[in-house]
Amino acid sequence: MTQLNETEIKEVVKERYGNLAREASAGEATSCCDDGCCGAEAELDVIMPLYTGTDTEGLPIEAIAASAGCGNPTALASLSPGETVVDFGSGGGIDCFLAARQVGESGRVIGIDMTQDMVNLANSNARKLGLSNAEFRLAEIDNTTLDNDTADIIISNCVINLAPDKDSVFQEAFRILKPGGRMMISDMVLVDDIPNEEAEDTANWVACLAGAEMKDVYLGRMETAGFVDVQVASETALDSNEGWRAAVRSMNIQASKPV
Amino acid sequence: MKRDLLDILRCPVCRGTLELEATKEEGDEIVEGSLRCASCGEAYAIEDTIPNMLPPSMRD
Repeated sequence: MTQLNETEIKEVVKERYGNLAREASAGEATSCCDDGCCGAEAELDVIMPLYTGTDTEGLPIEAIAASAGCGNPTALASLSPGETVVDFGSGGGIDCFLAARQVGESGRVIGIDMTQDMVNLANSNARKLGLSNAEFRLAEIDNTTLDNDTADIIISNCVINLAPDKDSVFQEAFRILKPGGRMMISDMVLVDDIPNEEAEDTANWVACLAGAEMKDVYLGRMETAGFVDVQVASETALDSNEGWRAAVRSMNIQASKPV
Repeated sequence: MKRDLLDILRCPVCRGTLELEATKEEGDEIVEGSLRCASCGEAYAIEDTIPNMLPPSMRD
């Protein structure tokens, strides 16, 4: 397991994603990593028609989400009008905007990110879309500052691997979910050990690789936090999966808080 | 932030309830202002509609 310390990890993650947000604000296409694991953050053009015209009318949300580079279209498709959605690590806000469309005016989407530039970018994007039911806040995903039992669903796209203390993230998710609420996330998870020197490289950490944990450990943490029906809905190998990278998978994971 | 977000927002340090002081509002949107914890007294700025709910140790 990595010897990187928690503060160091948070700082390099903030710096890296702050840079990405500034690049996206400048109109450059961005992705958190080289493997296309989580899609680009600057795909606003894809979903703009949802809010300004009828170009995408009739298209299933899965198709739109996939073209916007979202990691977990199934989670977005599961949303119902009126639901409260919390996005852990909302980045430029794409998943939140698609979620906002699904939950409608009676619903609410709260995007949480610890990077100031990302929150600014998401807020600016929300304004361009004229959205009133998606809002963004600077906070940590293991300290969301939301009250107990407030969310119907927590979504998160390739973010929890970046957190140094994953137990506290899952405990926080469990705390803010309503009884019967669900967590539907995508994340990088390992199916085999990766070499120590790779796991201790902060460059690999910010690329969503070094912070990834073994699948049974990751799912076990969710169960320890109290989640039930923890299951992997799908898993995909990386585009570049040479050598130790073959051990890394992008997984869609679902779990529930008991009623 | 929307004014009614206050209902579900808590202090990141002590989980106390927060009191809003808005200096600029547009409709139900709080554009500028601050949130102060009724329990521990810590304050959190709202700038350009975004509340900064990071605990003091995590702020830049």
